[in-house]
Amino acid sequence: MNRSFIARNPSVLVFLALLALFTLVVSVLSEGFGIGLVSTSFVKTLGKTLCLCLIAVAMDLIWGYAGILSLGHFAFFGLGGYMIGMWLMYERTRQIVVSSLSEGVLPPTPEEIETGIAGQIFGVVGSADFPLIWAFADSLVIQLALVVLVPGILALVFGWLAFRSRVTGVYLSILTQAMTLGLSLYLFQNASGLRGNNGLSGLQNLPGVSAPQSVVSMWFFWASALALALGYLLVAWVVSGKFGSVIRGIRDNEARVRFLGYSVESYKLAVFTLTACLSGIAGALYYPQAGIINPAEVAPIASIYLAVWVAIGGRGRLYGAVIGAAFVSLVSSWFTGGQAPDINLGFYTIQWVDWWLILLGLSFVLVTLFAPSGMGGLVDLLMRGKKRGGNT
Amino acid sequence: MKTMLLTVLSALFLCHGGTAQAQTVQDILQSQRALIEQSSRRTIGPAIDAIADSGLAQMQSVLEAWQAKDMWQRLEDGFFFAAHKTADGSYELTDFESGAVIGTYPKDALAQIKPNSGIRAMIATALVRFQLSDPDMARRGEALDSIARNPEAGLLGPLRAAIPSEKDPTLLARKLRLERLMTMSYDTDTAARVAAITAMAGDLGVDFRATLNPILTTRIVVADAGVTPEGNIAATLVPGEAALSRDAAYALLVEADKAQPVLTPDARDAGLEAHIESGRIAGTPIAKLDTETARDAAYGALAAKGLVPLLVHPPDIDASLANHQFFSIYHEPSQQVTEAAEAALAKSQSRVVASQAIDLGLDALSLASIYFLAAIGLAITFGVMGVINMAHGEFIMMGAYTGYVVQQFVPNHTASILVAVPLAFAVTFAAGVALERLVIRWLYHRPLETLLATFGVSIALQQLAKNIFGTQARPLTAPSWLDGAWVINDVVSISYIRIAIFVLALMFMGLFVFIMKRTRLGLETRAVTQNPRMAAGMGINPDRVNMLTFGLGSGIAGIAGVAIGLFAKVTSEMGGDYIVQSFMTVVVGGVGNIWGTLAGALMIGGFQKGVEWLNPSNTLAAQTYMIVFIIIFIQFRPRGIIALRGRAAGD
Amino acid sequence: MKTKTLALAAALSMGAALPAMAQDCTIKVGVLHSLSGTMAISETTLKDTMLMLVEQQNEKGGVIGCKLEAVVVDPASDWPLFAEKARELLTVHDVDVIFGNWTSVSRKSVLPVIEELNGLLFYPVQYEGEESSKNVFYTGAAPNQQAIPATDYFLEELGIEKFALLGTDYVYPRTTNNILESYLQSKGIAAEDIFVNYTPFGHADWSKIVADVVALGADGKRVGVISTINGDANIGFYKELAAAGVSADDIPVVAFSVGEEELSGLDTSNLVGHLAAWNYFQSADTPANAEWIAAWKARMGEERVTNDPMEAHYIGFNMWVNAVTAAKSADVDAVRAAMYGQEFPNLTGGTAVMLPNHHLSKPVLIGEITADGQFDIISQTTEVPGDAWTDYLPASAVLKSDWKDLGCGMYNTETASCVQLLSNY
Repeated sequence: MNRSFIARNPSVLVFLALLALFTLVVSVLSEGFGIGLVSTSFVKTLGKTLCLCLIAVAMDLIWGYAGILSLGHFAFFGLGGYMIGMWLMYERTRQIVVSSLSEGVLPPTPEEIETGIAGQIFGVVGSADFPLIWAFADSLVIQLALVVLVPGILALVFGWLAFRSRVTGVYLSILTQAMTLGLSLYLFQNASGLRGNNGLSGLQNLPGVSAPQSVVSMWFFWASALALALGYLLVAWVVSGKFGSVIRGIRDNEARVRFLGYSVESYKLAVFTLTACLSGIAGALYYPQAGIINPAEVAPIASIYLAVWVAIGGRGRLYGAVIGAAFVSLVSSWFTGGQAPDINLGFYTIQWVDWWLILLGLSFVLVTLFAPSGMGGLVDLLMRGKKRGGNT
Repeated sequence: MKTMLLTVLSALFLCHGGTAQAQTVQDILQSQRALIEQSSRRTIGPAIDAIADSGLAQMQSVLEAWQAKDMWQRLEDGFFFAAHKTADGSYELTDFESGAVIGTYPKDALAQIKPNSGIRAMIATALVRFQLSDPDMARRGEALDSIARNPEAGLLGPLRAAIPSEKDPTLLARKLRLERLMTMSYDTDTAARVAAITAMAGDLGVDFRATLNPILTTRIVVADAGVTPEGNIAATLVPGEAALSRDAAYALLVEADKAQPVLTPDARDAGLEAHIESGRIAGTPIAKLDTETARDAAYGALAAKGLVPLLVHPPDIDASLANHQFFSIYHEPSQQVTEAAEAALAKSQSRVVASQAIDLGLDALSLASIYFLAAIGLAITFGVMGVINMAHGEFIMMGAYTGYVVQQFVPNHTASILVAVPLAFAVTFAAGVALERLVIRWLYHRPLETLLATFGVSIALQQLAKNIFGTQARPLTAPSWLDGAWVINDVVSISYIRIAIFVLALMFMGLFVFIMKRTRLGLETRAVTQNPRMAAGMGINPDRVNMLTFGLGSGIAGIAGVAIGLFAKVTSEMGGDYIVQSFMTVVVGGVGNIWGTLAGALMIGGFQKGVEWLNPSNTLAAQTYMIVFIIIFIQFRPRGIIALRGRAAGD
Repeated sequence: MKTKTLALAAALSMGAALPAMAQDCTIKVGVLHSLSGTMAISETTLKDTMLMLVEQQNEKGGVIGCKLEAVVVDPASDWPLFAEKARELLTVHDVDVIFGNWTSVSRKSVLPVIEELNGLLFYPVQYEGEESSKNVFYTGAAPNQQAIPATDYFLEELGIEKFALLGTDYVYPRTTNNILESYLQSKGIAAEDIFVNYTPFGHADWSKIVADVVALGADGKRVGVISTINGDANIGFYKELAAAGVSADDIPVVAFSVGEEELSGLDTSNLVGHLAAWNYFQSADTPANAEWIAAWKARMGEERVTNDPMEAHYIGFNMWVNAVTAAKSADVDAVRAAMYGQEFPNLTGGTAVMLPNHHLSKPVLIGEITADGQFDIISQTTEVPGDAWTDYLPASAVLKSDWKDLGCGMYNTETASCVQLLSNY
């Protein structure tokens, strides 16, 4: 099965090869393992970009292939980040607390350690008790499972409710947007037990690991590359089979697919949940590289940007999503980093920090109007005759 | 410090020795100089008293000048004068004694005496006696304000004396009310107090409740079982019930030395650490004391040997509590007064609750009208045309900035709003038409992509506004006749600006219904909405209709922007605050129907206020629950409250 | 297809790596303030302040014979991006010092990076304390330099008996209110006389909350509001307050996050008499301040105002310049050692001193809002030394920060041991 699948999709092989090459080149150039031409901060940027590419692939599956424009996938991304963040924060704090308590005369009791950790983590938000949702925070295995389970279950419940009542089109988009807004407002509250607006911070410090960030950043970079490769492979495999044909059918004419006897809702729900799990994994890899996660991350705007990346990259082609996410986020970081040269027009100096968003906004409009197949469409043109399905 | 002491001493001396002879204003002020310069509420009392009690006629104007921060000190000799600023920035000094101008001085030769508002309130209290019968109505009003803020027993007499001479009916009513309130607290005759309280029972005023509540304050008293303490007992308290928790009750016993304190873990550990003997505590190796039970056991062993105080166990606490009684006792000694006050307050309280419900209803209505105003433009573009305009919020912002720009050129606030409203409509109408012509008309068959394209427009517009107007919030000031609030009683009130927004929302609804039902454009719009091809066949130009409808929706957003800017703020990001709510309003209400939008706005506004009422300390929760509610609501009515039937309901 | 990204990545990294190799005598000053997003409203001003300070210093001939170069980046009010940009400033641009951050959460985001790479950050905003980092100098007010004196003023000067603590829901108001609740209770205010409410950022619908505050007066106690409401939410709050006719004589409001900048967004004629507590007001009448305001207005325009965090940067930057001069090097460790005990005149008079706990001693000012959007200073204390760990929370009261002699920011005075060397984030 797998062999024929690859054979039918040479682009997957090309992508994987390029990703491997890219990973290798970055490794060789990195500070941690190579000649130091690529700075650690840039490795982190690249690692995070790979995670964004992964969620973009998931977004492409749900939007480009199944035609469901979800404006809420960053909620799942953020939840994944929170789940791993809880363990990172708990374990790091535990080590600090234990080492500080063991300097006392009496050996620390479990209760003292627990109170100490709670005081450190929640002291900043004026509390000293562990909320119930931190029950498993001491177990890496359980929190890793939750990275997939929490977004998956949320997607399952939300999707079941939404698809069952046949909410479609723009209504569904707005409903998913409401979901992520609701989640971010919930997390903003201190009562959420996840430190409100402060979020979870210091996530880049792996507990018990003394390796410098230049090395840790490469671990995460490799993990992100691997996750992207596997995610890409999985999604490419999903869309290439019969399942893929059905969801494309749903995209193009939902009623007809339903008349053919397919349970449209189940297919949609499956895709929605699968992409949510992928997003959760991407988030769990992203936030330890970013160092902090807080509710602003799951604000509706983030998910809209996600849709925009996929649109610019060209939806309905997985490599399009990857290109879109990588290109827009990297260019964005270049322009806002103050590295882009100002343009002096004599009477007015264009500072890119001020004008970049305008350029970005207008380019969405132009891409939507004139190049609906996005940047991926250019790739298609280059690879004449190798076009697959998935055009709009 | 030394000099200060000297000054105080000499001041005291002056004050003391001076009373016999005729004193000038300046003498008295100089005698209090140190206190006046120190300007602190805690110490200023004697100075104010000295001035007020001096009996000099000019003292009223001295106190008034001081209160208004118009009293200045000449640095060369430390004398105090009334001062006012002249055109060239220097200050003209007036002598308090004679009222004569004694010259102008530059600012750096003077020091302003700045009483803080605590001192100003004390000055106001001192001024009451002078002002209660002042010929100037405003001054009499100020005196009453001052009494209302800081009622004192000593003011009851002067207030009563000032009632017969009062001619102004409003002030007379205020004086009478204040007299009643002060009678409740300060009259020496119990019957008069009870009568005053009973007469006003059920009154809604905050001042009435603020008078009664202090009368009803209680303290908790511990007594041995079977003993009834002295005093006006309000209630017998049972530990563990709402009024007194078991912990609090036990703490009271400890405080009264009637029980042994409960040992904190820290105290226990300190006790353990104090008895370490060659690595062991009470025979247990230290390393084994890594659980709470082990520590408790070790401590128990130490206590058994009498080395540390005993642990207090739950049965001990139960026994201690059972052996004592807890009473709450009124500070007010008269039982008649407290009973009357309780009854009067209970009567007020039920009316207050009803009024609060009405107030909440008004708030909800106001919030709903804001949501409605923000969403109505969207209801047209999204509801009627099926176009999702993510830049809708930015049109609201554009309208608000238009208002701001107009105010830069038209300083009169009333005139500027009158200019701003049509101008905002014109600007956003033009922007809307441009957006429709350039972007949206190419995407009528791809609704999801309109969403993206207009989102691009949205972030571009937002950044553009930032580049032009900067990131600071800009002022958009309402005309002064919209300042203030419509006060129905002390609980129910609503600001005029919110009423204006409510009226505006009603007007737009009327306008919209009129356009849709009674004009050619409305007819054509409905036709195009239902079946564009058929409409085109009937000679309607769908392009033109779409363009105008979109312009109309955008224009209304612009006007909404002016209104929202007046009551909240004008920033480049204000649009984002309303866009999601607006979408919710339209979707919950039902697409393509103005009544649906209205219903949606009412429901969301009402629900949000309802949750806020249930959970007043957390406004965020209200918004979260609202969204959860909307998500669930959509499950049951996927097409909104008022769903369209027939063709138009199709996707 | 992937080659494009690769080429871009390579180009970016080359472009990024090149400036670091250039060897010349330039001292780089990183400016880490949001120029876009929600915090741009406050932080852009600080970026301009830094550019002005750097320019002024260069006109004076730079520092130790080197030109200063400001490196401005935009973390876009995005907290993770703060960490990324800080790393970029320290490793790619090799800056010697960073001036930046506004919100506490952005500072917490930057902390691990700064500590890992041994950077130097000057943080100019009043904050909640309960933190001490070896690599951060806190030039804004700690709670005991703003919140506690303002509360004392309420208690003693205004005789307030009942408190409404209104705040935006994030860490600064949460921690500050926590400290204040504990402080007020220690001053004999009952727990039920403290009303606490949190609202989201940018909250606009204040009618219910203002009504709730007015209703607090029903038990006859004098009510005061302590506001830690942040940013543009203040505009709606004050407008509603004015509309409800709440005068400062009835219910005074003291704000910790409202300065001249925030007031420029609204008409203050109805707010006269409400209060703010800061270490600086534009209305401070000193020659140094007049000069500073003139320079700022000349650069930015007549209508612009100055505020407290600007003064914090002014003091912080000048102290840093003096410390570099004293250390004859911009090396972080040398500069840090030279920072302790640095003195620099405040714009409001008096002298700020850098303490071993990385805080300044500064005077506390309380001002009443005037009709022209300024503050009338009605109370000015002598210099108050900033306290990293508050004395009013039991867990913090035993902690002490002293980087100079103890070399520890979280020193437990009871057990006489250093709890941890890294800061808590």
